[in-house]
Amino acid sequence: MSTATLMKQATQPALTIEVLRDFIEHEAELLDEQRFDDWAALFSEDAVYWAPAARDQANWLNHVSLFYDDKHTMKTRIQRLNHPMIHCQDPRSTCVRVLSNFKLEWVAEDGSEYRVRSKFLMLEDRPGAERRFFGGRLTHTLRRSDNGLQIVLKKVALTNCDQAFPMLTQPF
Amino acid sequence: MSAYNNEHFRNLVLPDRVHRSIYIDPQIFEIELDKIFGRTWVFVGHDSQVPNAGDYYCTSIGRQPIVLSRGEHGKVHVLYNRCGHRGAKVLSGVRGNQRIFTCMYHGWGFHPDGSRAGVPMLRDFPTGLLDDPQFGMAPLARVENYRGFVFACQDPSVMPLKEYLGEAIRGIDEMVDRAPDGEVEFWAGCHRYTFRGNWKLQMDNMADTYHPAACHASTVGPDGRQFQRRAGAEGGAAPFFAPNGEAVVSQLGVRGFRNGHSSEQSLFDKEQRGGDIEEYRAIMVAKFGEERTAEIMKNRRHSLTLFPTTDILMAQTSVRIVKPIAVDLTEVEIWPVRLKGAPEKISNDLVKFVNITHSASSFIQTDDLEAFERCQQGLQTQGTDWVLLARGIGAEIDEGNGVMFGPRSSEVGMRAKHQMWRDLMCA
Repeated sequence: MSTATLMKQATQPALTIEVLRDFIEHEAELLDEQRFDDWAALFSEDAVYWAPAARDQANWLNHVSLFYDDKHTMKTRIQRLNHPMIHCQDPRSTCVRVLSNFKLEWVAEDGSEYRVRSKFLMLEDRPGAERRFFGGRLTHTLRRSDNGLQIVLKKVALTNCDQAFPMLTQPF
Repeated sequence: MSAYNNEHFRNLVLPDRVHRSIYIDPQIFEIELDKIFGRTWVFVGHDSQVPNAGDYYCTSIGRQPIVLSRGEHGKVHVLYNRCGHRGAKVLSGVRGNQRIFTCMYHGWGFHPDGSRAGVPMLRDFPTGLLDDPQFGMAPLARVENYRGFVFACQDPSVMPLKEYLGEAIRGIDEMVDRAPDGEVEFWAGCHRYTFRGNWKLQMDNMADTYHPAACHASTVGPDGRQFQRRAGAEGGAAPFFAPNGEAVVSQLGVRGFRNGHSSEQSLFDKEQRGGDIEEYRAIMVAKFGEERTAEIMKNRRHSLTLFPTTDILMAQTSVRIVKPIAVDLTEVEIWPVRLKGAPEKISNDLVKFVNITHSASSFIQTDDLEAFERCQQGLQTQGTDWVLLARGIGAEIDEGNGVMFGPRSSEVGMRAKHQMWRDLMCA
């Protein structure tokens, strides 16, 4: 990123919680619609999508995670989700995500990065399978770039993260 | 119960097929809890899960809650998680440390070896009655620890662990030998997944190198390789198809061992190399020399399965524990291990890759779970009673010491498991 761009950003007014919320709700919408390529495009190249498998899990290095996808892994996951022979999605799931309680937790001094917390519930239905219900807290770290907002880190803290799960095919 | 006599069980397992009822009959499941899980060595946990005196880890064998604990003098114990008084489960949660394990109901306390530590208002019980160990937290009949792997058996007359494992003990050795310090640790928690299916479907799958071409087709990228499933520049992603169109993994062989153990050949032809692996390898070479290091790092097996429900995942340096909950419900744990003495980055990478190979959300396991659930559904049908295990029958090579090798995704490993199952159910 050029100095000029940085200067320009520094002089831009900080984004409001409404703008950030719209972006995060749009992200959830893309997942509901299973537009996985469009969804991945929201993430920066250095991004991480992370769902810890323990309460208060400090990092993804020394404990297993339900999901830990860097951009490369995310692309592999989506390649598979789009593959015609992904049997665990035949038939496919239908999901709806409901987000609420948005809070702006932190803003970088120059207004280039934001951390937003929210709560979510997700319903997953798949013909022949039991209805599934997930919920927890989301933390998004977002970065302003030339191409608009990007997700740098999305952390999904499920209320039941340390329990046993049937197959998880849909990112939260 | 007359239908469930020895002759009945003998007829459920034929040389090339098994009867579908062994997967779907709830009464057979009840008998398994006694005759399989009550009489064989079951892997309970790793001693690194309870490193200090007073540490405990709660787990289960079948429906029975049990505890792995560390006593005051460093000894590892395996106890039934039940108060000797009125039967309440003493320890809740998963793990912790307590000098005295105290029952919440009437306040009875027990030492980590299960013996009585204190009983409120003791003198009102008949004198001496509570000295009987069965009124403490009773220990399981037999416990043995092999290189940190703790096995327990509820049958006091069971054969020694080493005799039971036979040649399959190499699976533990091969994994532990990869640690420069000669020890592994369970250190990063575990993945837990469940499926609506019988536990034996998962066990059959671990001796099945025939299924990946169809079942795991979605894991193959446009370059014809399966996604990278372990670290390093070499030996991390394998070509999926051979020039003749067969899946490489299905051209590999399987071994069946005496007492129902099995192993699969490795799908990697190259040793893991490059990146952080080189630093780790240098430590190994400094300690053991080049020749022995090459021997240790050689890709021998994809996995090695110990009857009834343990899987040493060599390719992922992890341990899988399968827990039968009901005839059609199974819970599975995957524990990545730390190779003590290896650079931390090596252990971190093991954690990272097992997230995408064996977690509930992983690229491989999800399609296996779909297969298990479809089997459980399909096996309800009455048109055919038999489930085939006939692949490669008659082509096995006897390697001695109770080991049979079957080339080209032979179902010899499954046959070994089911023969052991039959022998135990008829015993």
